[in-house]
Amino acid sequence: MAKSDYFQWAAETFALERIFEKDEALKDVKIVELCTLILGPATPAYLAEFGATVFKVELPGMGDTMRSLTPWGHFWKKQALGWLKEARNKYHIAIDVHHEEGKELFKRLVAQADVVVENLRAGTMDKWGIGYRDLVEINPGLIYIANNGFGQWGPYVERPSYDAIAQSESGMAWISGFPGRLPMKSGIWLCDYYGALKAAVGILAALHYRDRTGKGQYIEYSQAENIMRAMDWTWIYQGITGKGRDRYGNRDVAICPSDIFKSKDGELVALAATTDHQFKALCQAMDKPELAEDPRFLTNLERTKEENAQALLSVVREWVASRTWFEIDRLARKYGFAAEKVYSGRDHYYDEHFEVRGFKWHIDDPILGDGVEEGVAPKLSETPGRIKWMGKAVGFDNEYVFTKFLGLTVDELKALEEKGVIGKWADFIGRTPPDDWDGKSGKIFP
Amino acid sequence: MVDKTKPWADWIREHDDPKYARSKPEALDDVWVLDLSYANMGGCFASSILAEMGANVIRVEPPGGDPARTYSPFGITHQGEGLGYLNEGRNKFHVTLNLETEEGRDLLKRLVDNRIDVLIETFKAGQMDEWGIGYRQLREIKPDIIYCAIYTYGQYGPKAECGKADADVVDQAMSGVTYVSGEYVEDPDNPQEWEVPTKQGNWMGWYCGGAYAAFSVLAALHYRHLTGKGQMIDVSPAEALGRMINYSLLYFHDTGQTVERVGNLDAGVFCYTYFKCKDGFCFLSGFSDVNWSLLTEVIERPDLRDQYPTIFERLKFENMKKAYKEIEKWTLDKEYQEIFERVMAANTRAKETGQGGVVVPGKVCSTWETQNTDNWWVRGSFEKFKDPVYGELTICNQPWKMTETPPRVKWICRPVGADNEFIYGTFLGLGTGDLKELEKAGII
Repeated sequence: MAKSDYFQWAAETFALERIFEKDEALKDVKIVELCTLILGPATPAYLAEFGATVFKVELPGMGDTMRSLTPWGHFWKKQALGWLKEARNKYHIAIDVHHEEGKELFKRLVAQADVVVENLRAGTMDKWGIGYRDLVEINPGLIYIANNGFGQWGPYVERPSYDAIAQSESGMAWISGFPGRLPMKSGIWLCDYYGALKAAVGILAALHYRDRTGKGQYIEYSQAENIMRAMDWTWIYQGITGKGRDRYGNRDVAICPSDIFKSKDGELVALAATTDHQFKALCQAMDKPELAEDPRFLTNLERTKEENAQALLSVVREWVASRTWFEIDRLARKYGFAAEKVYSGRDHYYDEHFEVRGFKWHIDDPILGDGVEEGVAPKLSETPGRIKWMGKAVGFDNEYVFTKFLGLTVDELKALEEKGVIGKWADFIGRTPPDDWDGKSGKIFP
Repeated sequence: MVDKTKPWADWIREHDDPKYARSKPEALDDVWVLDLSYANMGGCFASSILAEMGANVIRVEPPGGDPARTYSPFGITHQGEGLGYLNEGRNKFHVTLNLETEEGRDLLKRLVDNRIDVLIETFKAGQMDEWGIGYRQLREIKPDIIYCAIYTYGQYGPKAECGKADADVVDQAMSGVTYVSGEYVEDPDNPQEWEVPTKQGNWMGWYCGGAYAAFSVLAALHYRHLTGKGQMIDVSPAEALGRMINYSLLYFHDTGQTVERVGNLDAGVFCYTYFKCKDGFCFLSGFSDVNWSLLTEVIERPDLRDQYPTIFERLKFENMKKAYKEIEKWTLDKEYQEIFERVMAANTRAKETGQGGVVVPGKVCSTWETQNTDNWWVRGSFEKFKDPVYGELTICNQPWKMTETPPRVKWICRPVGADNEFIYGTFLGLGTGDLKELEKAGII
């Protein structure tokens, strides 16, 4: 088949314009979320992109603490940017589960759900009478996942945790950054977002088992343990050599060359040759074909030896410094090695590739209006993910959810609200709709 | 009735301690996966996840092995294998197949036809299609196949045809995460070589891409369960990691500004960072007013609470840098253990008095320390595992502790082509003689 034909076919198959015509992979899955901050809430957010119905349960009034997390205290239309990232496609309801009647409502919701996600301290839900042991009695096929820092049992069970602690106690921060400098925390909430992604993987595997057998289960999930599993050769290396892993800046000490260099025109360029074949091609591109014949550089195992790597990287560094990014990019395309510049948020925003692929996702939100967010990462041809709405105020969907799913009447809702069992947003930044909200838009049931 | 007499921690441990894992069922043991990953640990990690959850994974390598087998720190190998690959060979059957030959591709099609539910590949976009074994062709043989392609630039979009290779460092750079990570320039007149965008030390681009591939495959499997339909999946590890950015596009959309790197600080939270202490580094938090107030109490600096009373003062970069230095004065002359104990005692006090607030302490561990920390061994995160071929190695297990279908490691890796006889013999009926012929012809 001709290649151009393939790319045209792929472009049509995955076209953004057709996404809303297509089906959703998780359209039959209902999730109840009782979470705050990121590790918890981000988990159902990934699943909501693919059609899961997610009921996010918050405390009436102030809701999720996450509603305050935004860079430099900058709110957009009264919304915290950190919070919006994980609020997409969810139904936002507010129940006080400390209240007996609140627990009852919560249980009634769980009775018809497939999945519960919580991220409270270990044992809290159990203590409140809405833990796995209580819920499995009303819903035997339930999949229940508890996300936190250190799990439900073991020496660290009493310890609170955050993303930054998972990064630090796992050793992830230790291996990031430059030699002789500080261990570096990632610039993103890595163990939260990546942790939530893997939590969602656990849910989907359990869902597959339930599809086959009807059986649900409990999943205990520690974000620190999750990031440890992503730290590639660290543990085997330490076990074999008896030496600790260090940090090596932008250099990949297991693949050579693989590093970030500065080009003649000041761009930071990530460049790598991941096979011997690519390395030969790189040598040609650098106009140094003799390097590929040098016994020190014949194979990746030779090239990664410390002395050889130092020698080779300095050659590549010099070469990159003598070329513009435009030239390097052209050569990488021609010779097929890996090279890309370090992208900023601005680069993402103006990049046509990301625009076409919906990584830069435009949305005309019914409540918040014109927005742009990081879109859905994986593209599925039959059941593409999508962003339907960005996020809503505390308790915004109470009427719809309690009426449709729990069969409550308007009067019953009022009574519950008066008792403080359910409620709406406090008049506080991050919790409310934007100032220009007309009181109707975005509401499914009045 | 579920037994509720036991304390929660005891009850759940009895049901999900990984030490019982190997006697329990597996979530995905009805699924057959063909993993064609080439020089790409993202694909290998995707199939590891599925294999650890019980899927039957056939790893297809070119005769001579996947170049990824040479990915190893400082050229160190264990029984000839690179350590990076050794970590992701788990539970997979390893066969060889030369996809550059017509006969090799025919064998692949026969395998797909025979039993494959999921195919994972990491070639440059269009390569498989050009070989006649892309999604368009394989769905003719197996209409409900789930076909997952992993490549930095994806399968469509202006850059999909660029021809550049996928590498972890490139995925990280393109994701936007590298740009916001690393030390900021302290003095613009004298920038240091380490004050640059900094990647994660591990193969974070590949691992995130691999995790998203596994996520997508499982979502597609559920859809196949509902409708009988297969589909094609396009995963870019750069976008996968990029999806993990806290906030970037909306901030730019609204303000025209990019979020710049702030070292170990955080544009959205303060206090929330690492401090130097007497014997290393510690983490301390205190963001919401009540938590911040407690932190200033712990470090005996109520003046800081008054100086930065709301999150709006605490979320100014200049203030963060100043307050950071003040807090560090308290940590510098204390050992981690003392800091930990003082903070935890203050937490207890705050809870008992009803004052409220939590300060979260943590330790910045070296990976060596982590590997020698009891907690992770007790919990089965680390395990010394004896492999029939590779001997005893320290491995890290998947984090899910599941009551019904826990993940597990059955073997660590297999040599190149070690399972040719089993797979080709069992599923394609090829005998020893046939395999010898194929080997001679350079097909396996």
